[in-house]
Amino acid sequence: MEGQQQDSLGMGSVMREVQELAEKFKDEEEEAYVSPYAHLEKAQVLQEARIFHDPTAVRENPRKCCTVIAQLLHLQNTGQYMTSTEATEVFFGVTKLFMSDDASLRRMVYLFIKDVAETCDPDDVIIVTSCLTKDMTCDVDLYRGNALRVLVRIVDAAMLGAIERYVKQAVVDSSGQVASAALVSASHLFTSSPECAAVVRRWISEVQEATSSPNEMVQFHAMQLLYQIKSHDRLGISKLVSQFSTRNTLRSPLALVLLVRYTAKLLKDEYAEGRISGSIQDGSQVAKQGYQFLEASLRHKSELVVYEAARSICSLEGLEPQDLSPAISVLQLFLSSPKPATRYASMKTLAAIANTHPRVVAKCNEDLEALIADSNRSIATLAITTLLKTGSENSIDRLLKQISSFLTEIADEFKITVVHSLQKLCLTYPAKHRILVGFLSNFLREEGGFDFKRSIVNSIVSLIHAVPETTESSLLHLCEFIEDCEFTQLSTQILHLLGELGPKTTAPARYIRFIYNRVILENSAVRAAAVTALSKFAAQCPSLRTSLMVLLKRSLIDEDDETRDRAALAVAILEDAMAKNPYVPPPEDAEAEDIAPDTPAVNDTAAYVLLGAMPLSFEKLERSMTAYMNTPVSMDSADELSFEVLPIVEDTPAEVAAATSTATADPISGLMEPTKPKEVVDPAAAVYAIPELASLGRAFRSARPVPLTEAETEYVVSCTKHIFQDHVVLQFTVQNTVDDQRLENVTVLIDDSMSDVFTASGEIPCSSIKYGESHNCFTILEKNPDADLVPSQFTCELRFSVVQVDPTTGEDEGEPYEDEYPMEDLEITTSDFMAKVTVPDFKSTWETLGNTNEVLEKFALQFKNKGDAVAAVIDFLGMQPCDGTGSVKPNTGGKPHMLHMSGVFVSGQQVLARSQIAMQGETGNVVLKIAVRSDDASVSRMVADCIR
Amino acid sequence: MSAPLIPKVEAILVLDNEGQRLAGKYYGDFLKTDESGKTAEEMKTAFEKQIQQKISGIVARPDAAEVISVMGKAVVFCGGSNAGPNGDVRVVHVGPASESELVLAYLCEGMYDALAQLMGGTTERTMVLDNLELVFLLIDEHCDGGIILETDGTKLSAAVLLRDDEPMDPTMGGMPSQNQGVPQQQGIPQGVNPGDMTIGQAFRQAREQWLSSTGI
Repeated sequence: MEGQQQDSLGMGSVMREVQELAEKFKDEEEEAYVSPYAHLEKAQVLQEARIFHDPTAVRENPRKCCTVIAQLLHLQNTGQYMTSTEATEVFFGVTKLFMSDDASLRRMVYLFIKDVAETCDPDDVIIVTSCLTKDMTCDVDLYRGNALRVLVRIVDAAMLGAIERYVKQAVVDSSGQVASAALVSASHLFTSSPECAAVVRRWISEVQEATSSPNEMVQFHAMQLLYQIKSHDRLGISKLVSQFSTRNTLRSPLALVLLVRYTAKLLKDEYAEGRISGSIQDGSQVAKQGYQFLEASLRHKSELVVYEAARSICSLEGLEPQDLSPAISVLQLFLSSPKPATRYASMKTLAAIANTHPRVVAKCNEDLEALIADSNRSIATLAITTLLKTGSENSIDRLLKQISSFLTEIADEFKITVVHSLQKLCLTYPAKHRILVGFLSNFLREEGGFDFKRSIVNSIVSLIHAVPETTESSLLHLCEFIEDCEFTQLSTQILHLLGELGPKTTAPARYIRFIYNRVILENSAVRAAAVTALSKFAAQCPSLRTSLMVLLKRSLIDEDDETRDRAALAVAILEDAMAKNPYVPPPEDAEAEDIAPDTPAVNDTAAYVLLGAMPLSFEKLERSMTAYMNTPVSMDSADELSFEVLPIVEDTPAEVAAATSTATADPISGLMEPTKPKEVVDPAAAVYAIPELASLGRAFRSARPVPLTEAETEYVVSCTKHIFQDHVVLQFTVQNTVDDQRLENVTVLIDDSMSDVFTASGEIPCSSIKYGESHNCFTILEKNPDADLVPSQFTCELRFSVVQVDPTTGEDEGEPYEDEYPMEDLEITTSDFMAKVTVPDFKSTWETLGNTNEVLEKFALQFKNKGDAVAAVIDFLGMQPCDGTGSVKPNTGGKPHMLHMSGVFVSGQQVLARSQIAMQGETGNVVLKIAVRSDDASVSRMVADCIR
Repeated sequence: MSAPLIPKVEAILVLDNEGQRLAGKYYGDFLKTDESGKTAEEMKTAFEKQIQQKISGIVARPDAAEVISVMGKAVVFCGGSNAGPNGDVRVVHVGPASESELVLAYLCEGMYDALAQLMGGTTERTMVLDNLELVFLLIDEHCDGGIILETDGTKLSAAVLLRDDEPMDPTMGGMPSQNQGVPQQQGIPQGVNPGDMTIGQAFRQAREQWLSSTGI
């Protein structure tokens, strides 16, 4: 018994001891064990890579070689890139490994070559071609596919010709792996260069055959390549789509996804080219069949295909709600899928379609509300923003309640999305502005980062502009916000806004306290902004001047220079103005309606200095100044520099684009980086560089280059029109693409006999253009000052003498001979003489110009839709669209579109145009009514005549 | 909103639980050049950091990939766990925002399945790190220059282990070490030993054997 006890004790202790030992061992092991990929040093691995040069080691220890290759790849992967020399050295080592028969090693070698091929000198890489070609033609499937994939990375079109036979065979190989590899390689080749694409095109029958492969991936890859090959052949694509959608031979869900996408693309093209108008059901045969296929795909067993079909249907234009509803039903089902990706994808599609068809999506509202609790916050945010679009006016209150509980638990990024949808909602239901603005201001008090706060402030500000009723309440909300705002940028922005809008409200005095608090409590930037805001109140409201002066004078001893300067300026100007026009308070007993409005007198200097806006933005002023300095004439002129003599600068293409596009950002895409303003190059710089042209003065504007030849011809010519006060300088940029020619004495002959307005008065030839170079030659047209501008066409011809040269050495061969080359006609229209310049306030400028020189016209034009018509009218006139009227808002239905445009004519007159564009029935007739105003009746007339 | 006609993947990443890239590949022009003068590597790290911020703590089932949006890209991932640094890795697929998330999820689930098979059912960080070469090969077999090559998990793992992709015994899909002694199949060249283990694996196995032999 005792012994037993002792024994059991002994056993127990031994067990315990062993266990402890094991634990200890385990711990030690855990520490001692180091992964072969941890803490790799590049130098050390490169050292180890020398093993590749040792034939015995390679033969006996292929595993070691594999590990070293993997380590090299890992280095690449973690950003420790090899230099070009190191890569080349290792690369040569790796090529030695082809000696080994070890399959795993070979596989790693392939992988390495593929990864490194880009960083090495192509001439070095080429040496492995023969090894790879050998592997590609052997009978081991695993080698063949992989070797092929590596090989296409390094061959050029010429070498491809040599191995073409094998690749073509591989496409129809019985092994799926080989066939897939061949097809994918061909896809890469197809995009790599036009020469390779031409080779790949020849394999079309093999690719066609591969589409009926039993292997699903091969079907997919074949469908992919087949489309690439046929992508420019509309009929071919149409046949491809109808063939596969009716025959029903594709088994692979991915291949069917492709087919669905092709079908959708085809339908969109049909629509874009006008073969479908109205409902898709009464469209062409192709359209009908296509839609039927998409609809049938909604019942496929794979979710991939079903979703793709639903999404494609939703993306089609011009669909009637009943055509959409089967797709919506499918998406609605997906909303309750257990898979997050499915819910996310269908939610995203529904959110997009809710922009255009909120009523169709409204039937999903219950499911959407359930998704607000989704664990994936992207889905929840999409659901809530969609609900804001689909919900009716009376459901807003309930939704807001849900949002406020929801917002506290999501990231700032999503909050911003919600804020944007709230802003949109307020635009849709302006009657609800009180609740919505109040709601937004509540957010301002919540915790949140700068971007979140800024988006709220921006939303509130844009609502003030869109829904003026919100001004007073919004301003007070913002005032409260700056009382406790940690972001200087937002505070200054709000103070600026207060200065602009506050004085015009019914009771300006109540904002003063908020603003003055900033002067006492804030940092220097905010103080300066507050002082400016105060001075604006004083300038605008004479009744407040006396009290504001007291406040402003306190800032005269501010420790910050800027703040002090601003205060000093304001005080000086205001004192002066107050002395001239002292404020007379209305008599105590005056009736309310008798009291004159509290506005500054007409000749009030303070109002002029403190409230007047700059005639152009700082960025434009800078550009204008640069243009001024670039022209020798203006720098030498004795005139004083003033806004009037500064050259007119056009809006940059980016600004033009901003005015014409409907910017609707993806709701959950991340915050975009602010784009840096690009350096603007004066297009007329080339003209100023020619001394002979200096006497012409400063270019008024330069049109964008117009090609006069096709892009692939022997001589590629484009023309830039530079408009001067009395001349037009045509700058021809000529590129020589013939490698055995040099062009000399190049000029462009303009036939001016057809034009009454212009006469060709001079040419500046280009002395020599070598192969591959582009140079400019110029032709000067003189404008007849008495003739009115009418659109003129000129035939042009390139004249030059050709010197044959040896393409390799560049030496001349033989005598030069004269030659000529016809080009497309050049057109000079009235719009060329119009600079695109925005006016800050279209409405008031329009009123100021008055209707004395107004020209009214009415035109009937042929356009498919309002959008096209608007774009064409802008193009005809060459003017800048204003107030965001450059694009047609979606869903305006039959309402006519108002387009406001502004510009400056060559003679310096400001020109404004208001036009109304309306569709007449469904027939494609557009009625355009246009009114043009300027200082000069003949200019107005000329501009109105631009419409063709 | 229109989808790219041909589905393309812009990046495939294998991230550990702390967002460290164990293996990965970027395709096409994504994150290649940038105006701000950052190197490609810096941009990639920054991008991955953003991904990690959004996915940390989310565990996606192997058959139900999660979706997020990072820098305007659709990012789909499988895996992950709440355990420490040695927890499960995540397989991440990045595609253009207009790509169907279902397609990306389909790809991601396929690759995750293959990875799990290759790593013997676990997707633990150390295990993946020990077998990085298999992961590299897996990515290469899964996607070639952005074009999807194969999605089926079993076929993928077979291709990585240089086995023929004929249908086979499900028991073979396990750990590489289980495949020792499998008769060489037709189509496999000489010198292939699919059961080759890394030194680390051999060590671990030896240790386990020793521990089990001591009866614990």
